[in-house]
Amino acid sequence: MALLQIAEPGQSTVPHAHRLAAGIDLGTTNSLIASVKSGLAETIVDDNGADILPSVVSYQSKGILVGHDAKALAVSDPENTIVSAKRLIGRSKADITTKYASLPYVFSGDENHPSIATRTGEVNPVQVSAEILKTLVKRAELSLGGELTGVVITVPAYFDDAQRHSTKDAAKLAGVNVLRLLNEPTAAAVAYGLDTEHQGKQEGVVAVYDLGGGTFDISILRLNKGVFEVLATGGDSALGGDDFDGMLVEHLINKAGLVRPLSASMERQLTQQACFAKEQLSNSDSVEISLTLANDETWTSSFTRVEFEQLIAPLVKKTLRACRRAVKDAELEISDIIEVVMVGGSTRVPLVRQEVEDFFKRQPLTSIDPDKVVALGAAIQADILAGNKPDSDILLLDVIPLSLGLETMGGLVEKVISRNTTIPVAKAQEFTTFKDGQTAMALHVLQGERELVDDCRSLARFELRGIPAMTAGAAHIRVTFKVDADGLLEVSAMEKSTGVESSITVKPSFGLEADEITNMLKDSMVNAEQDMQVRMLKEQQVEASQVIESIQAALLADSALLNAAEISKIDSAISALKQISQTGNADEVEAAIAILNNSTATFAERRMDSSIRTALSGHSVDEV
Amino acid sequence: MNYFQLFGLEIQFTIDLDKLSTIYQTLQKKVHPDRFAHGSNQEQMLAVKKSTLINDAYQTLKKPLKRAQYLLELRGISMPNEQASFGDVSFLMHQMELREMLDEVKHADDVDAAVFDASQVFEAEFQQLFNQLQSQLAENTPDSNSLACDNLRKLKFYQKLNLELDKLEELLLDG
Repeated sequence: MALLQIAEPGQSTVPHAHRLAAGIDLGTTNSLIASVKSGLAETIVDDNGADILPSVVSYQSKGILVGHDAKALAVSDPENTIVSAKRLIGRSKADITTKYASLPYVFSGDENHPSIATRTGEVNPVQVSAEILKTLVKRAELSLGGELTGVVITVPAYFDDAQRHSTKDAAKLAGVNVLRLLNEPTAAAVAYGLDTEHQGKQEGVVAVYDLGGGTFDISILRLNKGVFEVLATGGDSALGGDDFDGMLVEHLINKAGLVRPLSASMERQLTQQACFAKEQLSNSDSVEISLTLANDETWTSSFTRVEFEQLIAPLVKKTLRACRRAVKDAELEISDIIEVVMVGGSTRVPLVRQEVEDFFKRQPLTSIDPDKVVALGAAIQADILAGNKPDSDILLLDVIPLSLGLETMGGLVEKVISRNTTIPVAKAQEFTTFKDGQTAMALHVLQGERELVDDCRSLARFELRGIPAMTAGAAHIRVTFKVDADGLLEVSAMEKSTGVESSITVKPSFGLEADEITNMLKDSMVNAEQDMQVRMLKEQQVEASQVIESIQAALLADSALLNAAEISKIDSAISALKQISQTGNADEVEAAIAILNNSTATFAERRMDSSIRTALSGHSVDEV
Repeated sequence: MNYFQLFGLEIQFTIDLDKLSTIYQTLQKKVHPDRFAHGSNQEQMLAVKKSTLINDAYQTLKKPLKRAQYLLELRGISMPNEQASFGDVSFLMHQMELREMLDEVKHADDVDAAVFDASQVFEAEFQQLFNQLQSQLAENTPDSNSLACDNLRKLKFYQKLNLELDKLEELLLDG
């Protein structure tokens, strides 16, 4: 008997070539890129067979070095060699200098847009991250033999809005299409394939404990038939293995009788020795540490695992407090958790494993390399998002990690969206004027759990102007917060009582403006103006073919939802777009896409509603 | 289309939470932006819109007090805002007593036990009001709906008390 092919909306019935996609773990210490090849997610190696790319970028007069070559210069040329840029991304200058007092860099730029002075000019953390992304993408394209359609980039679940925006800006700057920003613990859960009859358990609650070089995340997820629903997430976006090293550095400084300020290269040497000792102590009980002092003398000392564990114990305890809160936020008990997954290089530290095991009262899963697991999960998700797995049952439902709100009278924060709300989400709240005849209102957007403005992260400030003069309390100002599937926030405000609309959309003040990114892109190209034109046209052509492909697939599946006149209108818009994308410039193609989209807007909405109805009716049949 | 209809459920307070969750996941599998990540911008925007709506509906129907408020709104009864005066003086007096009880938890000799005792008291009184709310909403007459509205306001006092108790517990455990 012949089988009918039933198409889902958004899923092409037209067979298409496998789209190349990759998952990127943009880590504090190390970064990786992975891709799904013949059904299996694998990390992609460089010419030397190494998959780990140290997240280090060195600015040399002869060019920019990334990875192992850059890391080799970390001690000899610390000012021009940027390590752990992820710790700086999306942060203000004050934030950086108070948190990381002993960084060797010379900071410049303004308060909200700090940059580092190098011998080749100023660079900001977004640009540094973009160099790492470019290197990884190039490696993947060489290995996979073609251009990537898009990538999934992982971020710590506990990253705030400014840090997420900056990560996405880095991708834009690197010229990479981001299919999704994915939370690291969620990616790890996918990699473990915890949905697929793992040890005979298909459903249940799992905890992902992710301690990386610079960040700590804990996520509690409920798994059910391919759906990964994040129930709660918590953590610290400034706590990781680097901090273990930091504790050890302080200890070494005291023991060796060194006095700060130390030279930048001495600081780097201390950090490298500390990191080396930490790694050794995962497998042995003691380690010899040696330092080359300023007078070229060698200082050596032995250091035991017991001493190390005493130093880091308070930090490990801190992670467990976050675990306890996340379990509580998920409205669960520890005994409800059927599996604990360990992610991140710092979970190799025996004390961490032991403490996590004691806390959750079960042995954590460590079967996948903790350094690779996030990249592998991201690769699996990238493959699905690129459209290579139309039958996939996997769906990730993630949350925002920190509450979002607005400043109100008295320096207090009014929460608009609370932490652990599933995304995408939109919430509106109404505010009013405080004085008679007030025509403008200042809005201050904040993120965090505390009640006072000063204790929360300031994301953006903007003003709503043109409010008609009214008595105090008469205006109705509706402020809408929208968080998309990447966890990125958009805020708009509108005065609605008089029907006069004025609205504004903001991006966090710590991000880069769109034109700044364009300028940086131009700077990086030799024939800037011309290259930009080519690039923009290409982007529009890709979008045009995507639009046409998806509409044709939609017509094939659901033309019954349209009448003849509607179909012919769409057909002619498709022909017009096909024509223009061959001959037109970027603006013309963009305009033709808009016309086609316009003519299919109702159709798209009808299809989605119809798929909702079909899904529901499927249910009542199942349940009869 | 209201939220109950969106999930194909009958418009009533008592719902099967497992069924709600299953339907929620089925719908999200159809409309989530991840399903359209390779589609056109238009499809992606529409997916975000629908997925947002389904998330909001799910959150509203999942939480009993939110569901009650939403159901009352569908029946044309909107909740007075939080600052509006509240007529039931004896209830308010009792709330003051409960607040005092909460304050005393901080200074108790055995804090853990005091937290536990307070939560038991709150829970028992909450449950009693909640049972009343359930039958008032099921009755669905103008009088019963208005009583349900009053009860819902009272339940929100208990919700606040529980939040404060949580905060207190967290502070004590972290300290």
